[in-house]
Amino acid sequence: MSTQSNACTNPATSGPSVDKLRRLPPSATEDFLSFKGKGDEEALTRLIIAVLTDHSPDKAKAVTQWGPELRLIEDIGFDSLAIAETVFFFEDLFQISISNEEIMQVRTLGELRAFVKTKVTALAS
Amino acid sequence: MRRAVITGIGFISSIGNDRASVLASLRELRHGFEQVTWLDNPRVAVKVLGTVKGFQVASTEWRDWRWPEGYSFGSEILRSLAPHGLYALCACEQAVADAGLRAADLANVDTGLFTASAGSPFLLHHHLKTLDVARGERGNPMGVVSSISGTLNFNLATHFHIQGAVCGFVSACASSSHALGYALDEIRLGRQKRILVVGAEEPHAETVLPFAAMRALSINPDPGSASRPFDRRRDGFVGTGGAAALLVEEESEALARGATIYAELAGWGQAADGHSVAMSHPEGRGLIEAMKRALKDASVESSEVDYINAHATSTPVGDKSEAFALRSVFGAVPRQPRVSSTKALTGHGLSMAGALETALCALSMKEGIIPGCAHLQEPDPACEGLDLPRATLAEPTRVMLNNSSGFGGSNVCLVLKAAAASRT
Repeated sequence: MSTQSNACTNPATSGPSVDKLRRLPPSATEDFLSFKGKGDEEALTRLIIAVLTDHSPDKAKAVTQWGPELRLIEDIGFDSLAIAETVFFFEDLFQISISNEEIMQVRTLGELRAFVKTKVTALAS
Repeated sequence: MRRAVITGIGFISSIGNDRASVLASLRELRHGFEQVTWLDNPRVAVKVLGTVKGFQVASTEWRDWRWPEGYSFGSEILRSLAPHGLYALCACEQAVADAGLRAADLANVDTGLFTASAGSPFLLHHHLKTLDVARGERGNPMGVVSSISGTLNFNLATHFHIQGAVCGFVSACASSSHALGYALDEIRLGRQKRILVVGAEEPHAETVLPFAAMRALSINPDPGSASRPFDRRRDGFVGTGGAAALLVEEESEALARGATIYAELAGWGQAADGHSVAMSHPEGRGLIEAMKRALKDASVESSEVDYINAHATSTPVGDKSEAFALRSVFGAVPRQPRVSSTKALTGHGLSMAGALETALCALSMKEGIIPGCAHLQEPDPACEGLDLPRATLAEPTRVMLNNSSGFGGSNVCLVLKAAAASRT
């Protein structure tokens, strides 16, 4: 519970973005802040796994460990609605807008990580 | 002509989340009301609600929801549901199991799904706010299918893999009665062997409180008397949410598989007032015609009717109008039908009302009871001559009517016949 009260009082760890993460494991919030603050790629990898696990419509296929070549639809059971939901989650989390053309380019976990990194870096610069 | 029978019912309601507890509530006239505070604002004059127990659906996020034990739902269905969709799913599972069917038995072109709800103003408001804050640039991809009117048919048809006639009905408080009426027609026409009919609504502020702006809700703070249809001191309806599901089957199909039959859905009639966008016709013009058409359709004389589940919501104008209509159709009948409104116990479930009350009638018919008029102390003089039992009666019935009336003066009357009576 102390984490929650800290989140309420520390402006750096509160706000609408972090609030979206409260239904994921607490480590997701740390990973988000670590990637956003320091560009920690390992943290981004862990965050993506947590988000994909949460949005998986087929728990039997849910991703358990990182594999950049794993395909969202064929390998981890995502459908177009789940992809749309995941995209919306990242849009809201990082306050970015992702176009349909951009989504079509992302087929694997590795492409997803590279895409989010590029998009967020572009936003910061 | 092909006949349609009710072989399964399911309830998520203020008076119980299964048949046994609903039946006990009907027998004991135990209401489902509680005092509530709306939108954290104690100044809201409306104080009483027909609450749905055992669910936590106050969040717009399905990951926060909780439901009673015994149900298991995955994210693939929850992600596109509104709170009332969750209720509906539970009620449908009950109805399908009650009918002695498995979910797989619905996955074919002979099965249809007719639904009724107002959609989810609660979720719609949330999603539109998101869209507004992002100035149109972002929105939840599930926003449409989870919240617009029709969300029930989108989700339930997908979940049960139903491949026959699938659609929703929108006539406000007559909606799910329309759904049942047209389900009967589809079966009579031989187009479907079975139709799952479900009505559901949310007891959230966004669904219920707009009716306070119309001055249609009771501001009586006492849960024990706020909903008192036909009483002289009634001052408006009490809202409720939940879901009611009925499995309607072609009779020969039901008999062939040895299904237990609650009642025959023997006929229906509809007619409009042609009068006002919100108020009933003062003398119940459309409802009179709807009842006459229903009796004719079911080949039933007015003298044969044992019980009428009135629409009566506990509003001053509506109950009086219905009382006039009932006296007009049944005034000359020597043995008056018993009349009650179960909204005294459940509250008014809006689009869900017709399905809920037909399911209550089916259950009552099977159990040999007639629900009494809870909370009725001083009948309105307009009700003179009506037989309004104060307590639930242990009386077998052969013919029941269920009335529903919606905005714009849409009126629907459904006729149930006892299963044995339907074949004599």
